[in-house]
Formats: sequence, C-alpha cells, structure tokens
Amino acid sequence: MKMQAQKLLFLFSFLAFMMGYAQIRVSGKVTFKNKGISEVNVTLKDTYDGATTDARGNFSFETSEKGSHILTFTHPKYENVEKNVTIENQDVSVNADLREQISEIDAVVVSAGSIEASDRKRATALLTPIDIYTTAGADGQISSALTYLPGVQKVGGTEGLFVRGGTGTESKIFMDGSLINNYFSNSVPGIAGRDQFNTSLFKGNIFSSGGYSALYGQALSGALMLESVDLPDQTSYNFGISPIFLNAGFQKLGNNKNYSYGASAGYSILSLMQKIFNFNTDFIDAPQGVNGDLNFRIKTKSGGFLKYYGMYNSNKMGVRSESLEPGYNFSLVRLNGQNTYHNLSFKQKFGKYLLNVGGSYSYNRSDLHFSTETNGAESARNRLLTDGNYINFKAVLERKINRISAVRAGFELNNTDEKLNFEEVQKHYKDLISSVFAETDLGFSNALSAKIGVRAEHSSFLDKSNIAPRFALAYRLAKDWTTSLAYGLFYQNPESKYINAPADLGFQKSQHYIFQVQRASEGRTLRFEAFYKKYDQLIKTFNVTPGKEQNQQVQTALNNDGYGYAKGMELFWRDNKKTFKNIDYWISYSFLDSKRDFLNYPVSLKPGFAADHTLSAVVKRFIPEWKLGANLSYTYAKGRPYYDIATQLEDGKVMNYTRNEGKLQDYNALNFSINYLPNIGKKDAKAFPVFVLSITNILGSKNVYGYNFSVDGSRSSAVVPPVNTFVFIGAFISFGVDKTDDAINNNL
Amino acid sequence: MKKYLLSFALAFISLTSFAQTDYEKIMTEKIAKIETCKTPEDFQALANDFQRIGSKESSQWLPPYYAAFAQIQKGRVMMRNGNTQDLDGVAAQAEKYLGLAQNLAGADNAEIHLLRKMAFSLRMMVNPQQRFMTDGARAAEEMGIAEKLDAGNPRIALIKAEDTYFTPEQYGGSKTKGVEMFKEALAKFNAYKPKSALDPNWGKAEAEYFISLPTEKTK
Repeated sequence: MKMQAQKLLFLFSFLAFMMGYAQIRVSGKVTFKNKGISEVNVTLKDTYDGATTDARGNFSFETSEKGSHILTFTHPKYENVEKNVTIENQDVSVNADLREQISEIDAVVVSAGSIEASDRKRATALLTPIDIYTTAGADGQISSALTYLPGVQKVGGTEGLFVRGGTGTESKIFMDGSLINNYFSNSVPGIAGRDQFNTSLFKGNIFSSGGYSALYGQALSGALMLESVDLPDQTSYNFGISPIFLNAGFQKLGNNKNYSYGASAGYSILSLMQKIFNFNTDFIDAPQGVNGDLNFRIKTKSGGFLKYYGMYNSNKMGVRSESLEPGYNFSLVRLNGQNTYHNLSFKQKFGKYLLNVGGSYSYNRSDLHFSTETNGAESARNRLLTDGNYINFKAVLERKINRISAVRAGFELNNTDEKLNFEEVQKHYKDLISSVFAETDLGFSNALSAKIGVRAEHSSFLDKSNIAPRFALAYRLAKDWTTSLAYGLFYQNPESKYINAPADLGFQKSQHYIFQVQRASEGRTLRFEAFYKKYDQLIKTFNVTPGKEQNQQVQTALNNDGYGYAKGMELFWRDNKKTFKNIDYWISYSFLDSKRDFLNYPVSLKPGFAADHTLSAVVKRFIPEWKLGANLSYTYAKGRPYYDIATQLEDGKVMNYTRNEGKLQDYNALNFSINYLPNIGKKDAKAFPVFVLSITNILGSKNVYGYNFSVDGSRSSAVVPPVNTFVFIGAFISFGVDKTDDAINNNL
Repeated sequence: MKKYLLSFALAFISLTSFAQTDYEKIMTEKIAKIETCKTPEDFQALANDFQRIGSKESSQWLPPYYAAFAQIQKGRVMMRNGNTQDLDGVAAQAEKYLGLAQNLAGADNAEIHLLRKMAFSLRMMVNPQQRFMTDGARAAEEMGIAEKLDAGNPRIALIKAEDTYFTPEQYGGSKTKGVEMFKEALAKFNAYKPKSALDPNWGKAEAEYFISLPTEKTK
C-alpha cells in the first residue's frame, strides 16, 4: 500500500511536472503606424521564453509558464511596451503597437543652406582637413576648397567667400564661435589675400550658404564656422620644406592627456619660383611672409575645457603694373601687412546646462605705399596706413530639454576700432555691435524638427538696432531622403571702407528663403537646393576721384537706398569610394540669377562677381600599390560682367553712370596634384614624409578676373592671376606620429 | 513517512537541479546557434535570446557577454555587406551588454575587453577617416588591455591575425603574415581549456577556415 501510495505520488508529481511543462503558443504582431516592425525582442518577463519578430512584425514562441505574466516588447528605436497576459490552456495571441523613441541619432536635422563637416552628421557633404589637402587646386586653403562646393563662386582677384551672389565681405568666418576679423592676409588690389589660418588647426567646419543660425550675425550671405581641434592624440614634431616656404612645429601632449601645447613657425618667399615661371604680375618685391603660432589646451578637473590659439603673421610684397594714366609708365604698390589674432575659449557642462564662452582679439595693419615710375624714376610715395583693433566676446548658454530639443541663448560684443591715414585724410572709425540671441531646436519626432531663433543687434556707430527672426524646418520624407526649409532675416553694417564722409546710414538687410531636398546614404550624397535672397537697404556710394598712382576707385557711402535679389538652384553629388574602389569624387553645379543696385551702380545690374553657371568636379584616387594619391579638379564658370562706373556731380547731386561695360570670357581651370607617402606601412619608420606635387591650371587657360580702368575711362587693363600655371613641390615630414594606419583607413 | 519526505526532497532536488541545468541547457543550445547564424537578422534574434536569458539570470555575466557577441557578429556581417552606416547603433547595443557583463564579471575580464575592441572597430568603420584617431585608438587600447590580462587567449590572437590579414601589404599587413598568425592562434586554441562548458570558446573554426584557404588566394 505504501508502495502504491508512493507510486501514485510519483505518478502524480510526474504528471504535475508534465502538465507544468505543457507548451502553450504565444504569438502576435508588433506594429508601428500599422506597419510591422522586425527585430523586436518579445519576452515573457522573468522567463527564458520569448522571440524576435520577423520582417513583417510577427512573432511566436512556446511556453510552459502558466498564470498571469507580463509580456515585454523592446527595440532600441521604439519605446518599451509591457502587456499583461494570462496563460492558461489555450494559445494566446497578443498584438502590440509601439511608439517611436525620439533620439539624437535618428532625428532629422535642419540642413537647408548648410554643409557640415563633422562626424555627427556624416551623411552630409564633408570637407575634412584631409579632403581639403587632397583637393587639387585648393592649395590646402579652406576657403579655396569651398569654391568646389555649390553656392560658392570662384572670383579670383579678391579674397573672401562669394556666396550666392553676395560679395566677399557678406560671409563671415568664425573660430569656436568667435568672429575672425581678418581671416585673410592683407592684400594689394587685384591679388587676393590668402588664408592665414592653418587648415589642420580645425577638426571640422560648418559652412552655411544661407539661412544660418541666430548665434551668428553680421553676414548678409553666409557663415563658415570652424571648430578647432581638441587635444592631439600624441606628441609630434613636423616640418615642411619647398622652394617657396619652410616651416616647423610641434605639439606636446601632457602625460595624463589633460593638457597640450604647441607652436609653429614658418617663412615663405616666392622669389625663387619667379625665376622659373613666367609670372603675369611683375613683383618688385617678391611676396614673402613670416608666421608663427602658439596654442594650449587644458582639461580642467571639473570637466571644463580651455583652449587658446594665438598667431602672428606678416607679409610683404611690391607690385609694378603698367600705368593706365598718360604721362606715367608704371604704377607701383608696396604692401607691408601685419596681423595678430588671439582666441581664448572655454566650455563646461553644469548639469543640464552647457556654457560656452569665448573671446578674441585681433590687430591688423595694412601699410600700403603707392607711387608711379616714369622713365625709370620713381615718384614720392603716398602712404595708406590702416590699423585695426578688434575685440569679440561671446557667451552662449545651452539647455537640453529632451533628447533632441534644446534652448540656447547668449550675447555677443564686437568692438571695432580702425584708424586710416592717407595723406591729409585721418579717419578714426569706432563701432561697438552688441547682440543678444536666443534659439531653440525643437524635435517633434524623429521625422520632423524645427529651429526657431531670433537675434537683436545694436550698433553704436549707426546708433540703430535691428531684430532678425530666423526659422527652419526639416522633415524626413523617407529613409535617406530629407527635405528642409529655411527663412531668415540678416543684417550687416556698411563696410567701414565706404564710410569716408558723414552720411546717415543704417543696417543693410537680406532675407533668405531656402528649400532643400537631400538624399544621404552610405558614402553617397545628393543635394538639391533652391534659394531666393532679397536685399534691401544696401548702401549706395559715389566715387571719390582717386589719385593717378592707384587705379582703384575710392568710394564713399551716401545712403541705404540700394536693393537687389539673388535666386538660383544648386546640385551636389558626392560618391565617396562607393561606386569605384579607391575613388572619391564630387560634382557641383550652381545656377545663379542676381541683380542689384548698390554701391556706385547707376541702375540695377548683374553684379560683377556673379556668374550665371558654375560647374566644378573633384576626383581623388588613391593607388595603394604605389603609395600614391592622385587628385584632379576642374572648375568652369560662365563669364561674369564687368563695369567701369564713374561719378558726376549735377546740380550738386551725385550721378553715377556706366562708361564701359562688357563680359569676361568663361573661366576654366584644370588642376592636378599627387601625394606620395613612401614610408606608409614601414613598421619601424621614425619619420613619415609626404611628398606633394601640384600643378594648377594644367591646360594653361588664360583666365581674366576683371578689368581696371584709367581715371578718365579711356584705357583699361585686365586683372589676371599672378601666374597662369603654377607648379608646387614640397615635402612635409612628421615625427612621432605613425600615420600608417591613418593612411590605410583614409584610403581603404 | 520518512520515505515520503525523502521522495519529496528528491523530487525537489531533481526539480532544482533541473532548474540549474535549465540555464546550462538553454545556454548550450543558444551558444551552439552562434555557428549557424548567417544574416544580421539571425544574429539579432540570437542577441535577443541571450538578452532574455540575461534578464532572468541577472547574476550571470555570460548571457550579456553572448548578447554583445551576437550584436558584434551582426555588425561584422553588416560591415562585410558594405552597410557601415548603421554600425553605430549596433556597437551601442553591444556596448550596453558589455557594460552589464563587466559589472558582473569585473574589469579584468580579457574576453570582455576583446569584445569592446571589436565594438570600437565597428564604430571606426562608420567613418575610418575621421574616427581612426578616436575609435581606432580606443580599439587598440582595449586590445592592449585584453592582451595584458590574458596573453594566451586564442581569440585575442585570432582578432590580431584578422587585423593583419585584412591590412594591405603596403601598410605592413599581409595575407601570408596573417595566415602565419592564424596558425599561431590555432595552436593556442588547441592548448586552450575554457573555464566551463559555457565560457567563451568561439573562433577556432575561423582560424581553421583562413588557414585552409588556397595559397593563391592568400597572396
């Protein structure tokens, strides 16, 4: 009996055991907006049981659990959902509808007007320092490389970024948020200044050809925001040598990787190349320059980051050109330029707040001497001396609201103090522009976000204030496809060089409307952008008859009655090693229709810096077997108009009129460069040289940037590049940093 | 009565011991599945399985370890398919599991550091040009830690061999050198005894596969 009881008990417990393990099927479908979602992890909480949904969102699993349970649905891109289920003896069906999780990675960002080169938004067009160095014809200069992107025009004789029918001074350049007042070196008329900042100083840049953020101001057309590098990865030394320059530098990284400092110095002179090449420009003093910079970066114990960068640059040159004035053989101009720039910035997080403060000071001196030469004898020199002191200070406080929304607000002070000295003319120009701004990023969902901002400015010189609202919206049409819209008001003070007589002036104004569609996928970007830009209150000027030593007209501002527009569309396509192995190429095309009545234009005209069509293409090919990179670039721009405008006084009223006008021939340039890296992959190499050979304008096209006219308008001469075709060779050697893997990964 | 008690106790023991082996059984079953997974979807489902086990067995480091491994394998398949844009999300998932595993297993677990290295390598592949200096450096750092902790680990040798194998000759890598290193890794695999039946023991087949490739292909 006992045995039977035991047997029964055993049987009973065995049955209970079996019952307990009887399998019940749990199945269902997981959806988001009625569409099935795959890869959702469905789990019967605190058991091993569960399943992953298939491509249609279906799941099914078996369980031996009984009673009341919780079924969880998890997926990194959706909010977690829990559902109560009661499992008895029948199969259970549970459906779930998930909600999208809003995240920074998936959220759509406003990209209308801007091209960003940062890792975060890698899908947009990128121009990293390496991209810039390997763009043939860019000369390693950021501003030149940007001319191969849509919206930026190749103008030539003047420095600056000419964006969508805007002048070079309508674009401003910022470093870590602070304005760089003299980004380009001092120049003489007809020869563009160069970038004074080292390209490798910046880890990324955001280039906006319109509709930019309320954090920035005083630029009617565009803004280039440069982000300086943080701590270097390791201590290194480098030097560079070529027939036109010599430089050396180092970066030292602290042992705990919490600070670094570095310095560099360089000297450049063009005289040797002048002997070899046939220069268009007659340099009486070959361009030469001395430059040096210093930096330190400190990570504070409390998590703050302090950065300093300072540089000094001086350049000299003298140019002789045939005089357009009767009675003189040549006109001469000599330049002695000096510039120093210091930037200190600090950022730290305080809980939900991020503080960013920065200040910069710059001093710029342009010392020009004009003279004439007749029958070998040089006349007395006229001196045009400009000294400028600029101080910029900016503080921005940012608070995150949720994962993808934020509010930012702050203020900016921008003080200008310029002294100009030309014979008996003494000008002292002072202006303090105080600005406040606020901006909010609003993420409604991963597919819809907006940016709303406002900026108010007061100029002490104009004694006027402005308020500029800005607005942008981005919407994801489909995976990889986004569209954005931007609108904004932008103000800019009249340039001080036009303020030479008393006049009641105000801010110049522009309005931007931008529409963009972009397809960005792995290694490929396609962008289409259409824009309309309306200008108001542009300054009108008249010519002050110049001396016969210089054929550049001096203009003075009269009023703010100018106006204009620019409209157009742009296409950009980049395929980064996706279609062709080792080949990165991009193509951009810009169509621009612009007219304006500003400065001394007598009527509304197509501006002399606006080409109707601009096409450029860049191709880069790396050949691993030869350790060689070969790069090609090509630019075509439809001929721009040129004008010779004179001023007449009629009944005490100023009258501008066009004496001569015409159209330049089309611009064409094909450039080529190669980089050879012989020590790549040599494990025990101590030095890593890079040899560079570049040829700009291989085809030798005779490009013309514009025309200069004599004071009476009867004679003219073309403004041409200093040299048609230029060959550069150089070696850059670095120690301490093994670029091997860098090169591999750059080129794989 | 004693017997009743005994049989109850026995039944209880058998049930609890069954519960223990339940973990081992399901883990053994899922670990075996690693070899059969082919597509990113397969690996995702497997990662989810390990996640599920891990949330029940919250004191075991192996479930999150294998969840991370499955994620990384998913990423590696995606990478081979040229789909590198989504690797950040995959690496982030893997890192989440690795954090869990490390909390349970301690910071001196070479296997976890090796997976961290692999996760950083995945991140680097999103944009090698820009990320080499950050994620690439962190991958190298994790590899260094792993090596220091367990120099004889065959999986560390395997991943190093793989890195050499796929690095072009011009940059100091080579297929022949890689194969040599795979052979060394295989020797380590043959000498290696995992701590338990469930402990990491993957990679031997891969070393054998690379060694078995015809030599003309390794050129």
